[in-house]
Amino acid sequence: MSLLLEIKKLKRTGFFPAFLIGAILVACFPIINTAVRPENFINQNLPALDILMNANWQMIAMLNMFFLVIGSCIIYHTEFADHAMQKMEALPQSIGKLFINKTLILIGSIIFALIIEAASFIFCAYYWFNTDNSFLPDILKYFGYEFILLIPAALLIMIIASLCQNMWISLGIGVIGVFIATMLPTDNLILSFFPFAMPFQTLNNAIDNSWISPFLISSGIQTILFSIIEVCILKVRRNIA
Amino acid sequence: MNLLSLINIEFKKIKRSHIIWIIIIPIVILWIPAIINSNMNFEMQAEGISPENNFFIQSFIGLAWFMYPATLVISTVLLNQTERSNKGILKMLSLPVSPTLLCIAKFIVLLLLAAVQMVFMIIIYYPSAAIASQMNDYQLMISPLIILKETGLIYLSSIPMAAFFWMIATCIRTPVFSVGIGLASIVPSVLVMNTKLWYVYPMCYPFYMITALQGEMAANFDTFTIKLIPWIPIAIIITIICLIISCLFFGKAERR
Repeated sequence: MSLLLEIKKLKRTGFFPAFLIGAILVACFPIINTAVRPENFINQNLPALDILMNANWQMIAMLNMFFLVIGSCIIYHTEFADHAMQKMEALPQSIGKLFINKTLILIGSIIFALIIEAASFIFCAYYWFNTDNSFLPDILKYFGYEFILLIPAALLIMIIASLCQNMWISLGIGVIGVFIATMLPTDNLILSFFPFAMPFQTLNNAIDNSWISPFLISSGIQTILFSIIEVCILKVRRNIA
Repeated sequence: MNLLSLINIEFKKIKRSHIIWIIIIPIVILWIPAIINSNMNFEMQAEGISPENNFFIQSFIGLAWFMYPATLVISTVLLNQTERSNKGILKMLSLPVSPTLLCIAKFIVLLLLAAVQMVFMIIIYYPSAAIASQMNDYQLMISPLIILKETGLIYLSSIPMAAFFWMIATCIRTPVFSVGIGLASIVPSVLVMNTKLWYVYPMCYPFYMITALQGEMAANFDTFTIKLIPWIPIAIIITIICLIISCLFFGKAERR
């Protein structure tokens, strides 16, 4: 019931059309990139998915991070804009549940974006590359892995958005986070654990360096850690306010 | 009220906005890895670029390609949301102040915030270069003339981009779209820059300026030539069109 309520609140903010249009534009990118210069990609001696990932993932990951940052800002901006948050706090409803519902919406939207992006990869693979039967299970694995790496970033950005009443501050912190992530070297394992940098990692890079389990474990630990932090924030805020 | 006092008022409004931290923190973050990895500058000599030039240019590229345009987008959000929360814009529009002047004043504040970031970039460059020189026993500081000239070029070339972002922010009232379009338009600037028609895309101007300088400094890199003739007129036209549109649409929804 309250999840539906949260979805209704976002109806007039343009959140869902923005995600839809954004995801479609992002999905166009690998197709255009391959269509403009197919000779650069087709002759590489690699599986089709690896070529597509190497060529496009950095940009797609960055746009995905922008989705998360802008999405979280909007989701909490609807509460803070006209002091709706105070009304929500006065209702017989837990604020923790509010956070969970809002996070679920953000994560659901990013799954949706990932599905559209995966569809464009499938299109590219079948149109320009020779693919075998292992392609479809592989793409599920690749995007599932990316999704798991995106969860800590989504949680962290939601915590930031829930703490800052002014949208430009949460937006600013999020953008600075993405900026740091783009500056970090991708070949350094410890630095890549930075929550905003993890979505920039690809599964083929992880296989080459046997980094799969470190990243999955780190994603799990960070998810638990951020959940604990959010619980603490809720407890402290209740005691203060 | 004249333009100057309007700008003064705009600055009073954003006094407690903490925007200054959003502007300064990325600059500090930008220089820390540059200092730590400063010994890597010596490996770049194979490309024909001297260590001191490389030290300077890498950080300025980092700023110009992403963080600086993103700061402009964040500042447009700040300028719009301070008015829209608590309906401040209605009060401003009921005063005997020309909305056009108000719009121009806000745009100038946007440009001044961008100037603050550029000034901080120069200020922090000097201690960073000094520390890195100490660490490597090599003079990594370059002539202030080049730095001033390049920062000035980045700043001036970013004005059409700022006008574009300001137009988006005033015309599109749903923040998710205005911010989304702003941030998303930064990303493809790398691709547009490599095409012949780079001058029709204002978001890539600052990045183009700094890459052109890199091409000059490094013997082995592709050189990007700055041809003034189609670029300057088109940039001016884009700026004027964007400003006129934003002045026309400023406060339109509230004045209904």
